Amino acid sequence: MTEEQPATKAENILKGFQVNWICLRDADGGKIFWQGSEDLSLPDVEHEARVPKSILKCRAVTRQFNFSSKEAIEKFRLEQKVLFKGRCLEEWYFEFGFVMPESTNTWESIMEAAPESQMMPASVLNGNVVIETKFYDDDLLICISRVRLFYI
Amino acid sequence: MGLLSILKRLRSSPDKELRLLLLGLDNAGKTTILKILSSEDINHVTPTAGFNIKSVTSDGFKLNVWDIGGHKKIRPYWKNYFENTDVLIYVVDSADKKRLEETGLELYELLSDDKLHDVPLLVYANKQDLTDALTASELAEALGLPSIKNRAWQIQACTAKEGVGVKEGMEWVCKNAKRK
Repeated sequence: MTEEQPATKAENILKGFQVNWICLRDADGGKIFWQGSEDLSLPDVEHEARVPKSILKCRAVTRQFNFSSKEAIEKFRLEQKVLFKGRCLEEWYFEFGFVMPESTNTWESIMEAAPESQMMPASVLNGNVVIETKFYDDDLLICISRVRLFYI
Repeated sequence: MGLLSILKRLRSSPDKELRLLLLGLDNAGKTTILKILSSEDINHVTPTAGFNIKSVTSDGFKLNVWDIGGHKKIRPYWKNYFENTDVLIYVVDSADKKRLEETGLELYELLSDDKLHDVPLLVYANKQDLTDALTASELAEALGLPSIKNRAWQIQACTAKEGVGVKEGMEWVCKNAKRK
């Protein structure tokens, strides 16, 4: 076997990986606040989600990601951060392990909101919150998704 | 009973992280059960060609529920998801008598795997609304569940699409996940 093989494998994973849609929902009633499915596979595009201010009153909000992979991935994991003006408010690390070849998968994170007294008002948060999700195979960065939130 | 409330009941568990694994043949109702647990719309459930995962966190405790597609082609991949499982949830279409033997064989293959050794087993006897569905006790007999001696097990009748019986099964899961 030649030494180029790992690089080729990585390239194939990158080429065959796609985020299909992202969805923000009320964890209690299941109501969808925002769903985006356009251009999600384009690198370096920041998506804008316009969500109703009432999302801040939810006890918990779920963030759902649907993604496809043509190649098998052995050590799939993600890091998700919620950033306020670039400062990390919240982070998730999730290890999926194996991803099947030719598969379509969803991952959903559900987190309880901070008590309302600690919640910053919509006017302060508006346009300053970004949900950043990085997908990796072990240490290989496959894709970054950024969604900026606007509270309307 | 939503995922957050399940998690709250599991807090007395010594583990900080719990992993539930949902398996079963295709069209058994695994994804519908998962969606019912988070009050999601179940009108557009399609065959799972991979996995669906829900991760819930509250005060540092984590609950991860893994729903893996059941199509014959992808069953060989199931074993990649066994590790660290706290409770195995096996979903059966109680009216699919043609595939009763097949679902039994798949179940026993799971139970004989070292990585799932000792792991409590909940079987959902789903689709009880269908007229020709086996009852939970008929299904337990047909699958030979009473002969299982090496782990806690339970069978729960349910009609996932109406949300009936799902909660009762999760209550058993909460109680038995703690024992580990």
